[in-house]
Amino acid sequence: MKFDQAHLHEIESRCTQESPPRCQGLCPFQLDVRAFLAAMAESRHAQARKILDRALPLPGILTRICDHPCENACLRQGLGGSLAISKLEQHCAAVAEPSRMLPLPPKKFSLAVLGSGLAGLVAAAELARKGYPVTIFYRDEITAPLVTRFPSLKADDGLAADLEDLSRLRVTFEESCPDAALLARCEAEFAGVLLDADAARSLAPQEDAIDGVTRHWRGNVCCAGGLGRTPTGHAFPEAARQAGEGRRAAQTLERLAGKVSLMAAREKQQGSLHVSLEGIVPVPRVEPAGGSYTPEEARAEAARCLQCQCLICVRECVYLQKYKGYPRTYARQIYNNASIVQGFHTANALINGCSLCGRCEQLCPEHFSMADLCRAAREDMVARSYMPAAAHEFALEDMESASGPECALALNDVSLSEGAAPAWLFFPGCQLAASRGEQVIALHAHLREHLPGGVALYLSCCGIPAHWAGRQAMFAEHSSVLLKQWEKFGRPGIVAACSSCMKALRLALSEARVRSAWEILNALPLPRRCGTDFSEPLSVHDPCTARHDAAWRNAVRDLARKCGARLEEPRLSGEKTSCCGYGGLVSCARPDLAAEMSADRAAALPHTALASCIMCRDRLAAQGKDCLHLLDLLFPRPAMSGKDAAREKGPGLSARRAGRAALRRLLRDRAGEETPALQPPGMRVPPETLARLEDRHILLDDVTQAVAWTERSGQYFENLENGHRLGSFRPRHVTFWVEYSREGEGLVLHDAWCHRMKVPGSGGAAVRKEESA
Amino acid sequence: MSMAPDYPPDGGRWICALCREPLEQVKMQVFYLNSAFDVSLPSCPRCGITMTPKSLAEGKMLEVEALLEDK
Repeated sequence: MKFDQAHLHEIESRCTQESPPRCQGLCPFQLDVRAFLAAMAESRHAQARKILDRALPLPGILTRICDHPCENACLRQGLGGSLAISKLEQHCAAVAEPSRMLPLPPKKFSLAVLGSGLAGLVAAAELARKGYPVTIFYRDEITAPLVTRFPSLKADDGLAADLEDLSRLRVTFEESCPDAALLARCEAEFAGVLLDADAARSLAPQEDAIDGVTRHWRGNVCCAGGLGRTPTGHAFPEAARQAGEGRRAAQTLERLAGKVSLMAAREKQQGSLHVSLEGIVPVPRVEPAGGSYTPEEARAEAARCLQCQCLICVRECVYLQKYKGYPRTYARQIYNNASIVQGFHTANALINGCSLCGRCEQLCPEHFSMADLCRAAREDMVARSYMPAAAHEFALEDMESASGPECALALNDVSLSEGAAPAWLFFPGCQLAASRGEQVIALHAHLREHLPGGVALYLSCCGIPAHWAGRQAMFAEHSSVLLKQWEKFGRPGIVAACSSCMKALRLALSEARVRSAWEILNALPLPRRCGTDFSEPLSVHDPCTARHDAAWRNAVRDLARKCGARLEEPRLSGEKTSCCGYGGLVSCARPDLAAEMSADRAAALPHTALASCIMCRDRLAAQGKDCLHLLDLLFPRPAMSGKDAAREKGPGLSARRAGRAALRRLLRDRAGEETPALQPPGMRVPPETLARLEDRHILLDDVTQAVAWTERSGQYFENLENGHRLGSFRPRHVTFWVEYSREGEGLVLHDAWCHRMKVPGSGGAAVRKEESA
Repeated sequence: MSMAPDYPPDGGRWICALCREPLEQVKMQVFYLNSAFDVSLPSCPRCGITMTPKSLAEGKMLEVEALLEDK
């Protein structure tokens, strides 16, 4: 994805939120009907009148005679009837004082209008408002052509008011019969001429001689405002179309006078505004009890306006709501962020706040993808070295640790003879290994028992954090390690238990056959101890990375039902499922936002949830939401009720790392290869202190290391009031501070904090190394 | 962007454990991403080891780090 203007426009055009609603799109004057009705609904008549006067060149006349195409397009049509826009305009014109237009400084080109019909007067008003000196040539009586066509204007004072406005705008009226001689004179003397095709019928050419868009006829002459014709040839007035032609002709005359292109940038290409009518209750149209609206009736009728907006994606997404905009504005902010040379990249948080879950793309009728945009932006930030180091560092280090010697393990099926290639490779994923070691072992054993050809096991991270962080080089490097191991096993089929792993593995090992553990299990005999003591229904929560994986989602439902669970689908499910807040590393870059996402999803699941991704399960549980993992139905943990399993909180960050390492040691030991266990830490960490560390993404490993260094070097501070020791250690780009004290033979941790700034005289040896480097 | 200059310990009577000296507020520069800031921090007058109080690390310092990272 390139970050240039052309591409921005292409992306932006997919979001229709800024497109005019249908009423406005059909109005020849693009009246902001939404804003007008909003003002009317609150009886802000002066404001409503201002909106009318700004858009309509002849408000007195047009509000009276317009045949309101806007009403035909109103989305209320089938929900109680179209809004009475025209009648509300008349009400507004009757009750509110007209707003005074300030004339612009006079322009040098003079323009002529031949004939005082509707199109002629509209064009004159449009041009006069812009400061052009305009002369209207009319025969006998100025108002005659209008009143003939629209008799309702006869008794109306709107017509007189509009004519007065034209005089105020310095329009000159000249009584002179519009004939061929006058036309020739005007063509020569004026910069442009408008021929009113109704009032000066005899001079008007055939319709096909006139350009339909610009109303340009020949030389400097435009022609507009002819009557409509029925198929049988009957002529009739069509106010909106005639007035609209007058306006377009006025725009063309301006371009002719200024000698610029008649067509360039004239019609804005915008997709039509998408509006969801889901859940909108019909409300009948308010008809005036008398001939016209009372203020109360007008207010009630205007309040029926749906205030059409798209926001289909925004309504469902905590992240998209967070920044008070919509994808179109976000795209612009993200592009601006990329083009900053000096100054602050204010959209970094926006870019790193997206969970890349892809639901907006799914919901959007135009398939706008914030995920594609944000991931491309992250890649660009990484490539040009302005990705904040702190944004994803924890997750990337976690990925490294999960794939490093302490946690990673590749074990062939022990039942196969030495060097034989297994038919399958089980890839549980590093988060399942971190959280549910026992169930990983049980699942592996079950697969081995029932799948012919042997099932090897590979504990490692799949590399998705690098992909999410926009670090393509790191992802490629990780993929090559996975590829080497997969080839070493003889390219077996892969069984994955995490939908994010499946995504990453399909990217990394394009030739591998990757299938979900659920699909495979669904075709095998059920585990002996499977089942549930839950009688109430479970709300199925699909992981966002399985949004497009129907096989995953179907197998999860099949298996759960086979285990005796009753399932219910939440409102947003399957392809429209929500992210739990783990996706896209939001939980790392924007933990606050990630927690809001989890809470939002938890609130949308009416019953105890059933997840099939361990991060979904643990994040929902962290929000206090009762949530089971599918493995709790397939391989229930001994002596643990369904309720307890659903209530159990997942492990914290430190415990996850320890869990991965412990699983590896266990499997290694069983395979007969001894590995030295980790040194048991000689330090007690009270649970409330651990909770604070987790919040700040500080690992026990780092704390233990810092205490060890402090104790060894003797470089620490001592609080004479309570004997607490305070030391610091800077193993990489972060200085960790530990406050602890002696407790019998061991130590107890009281607090820890960290910062990235370098402070001379702290952090131990590593500070000096970093400084000299 | 300025950091208020003086950051004493968050509480307690702290000394340097090696030198057994009470700490003094010492003016120095802290560094991040090609920027330097003047601050006064509690420091041992003899060996120079320096304390970053928690309120500073999790307050102003965190704020300034985030600002610089977005620059």
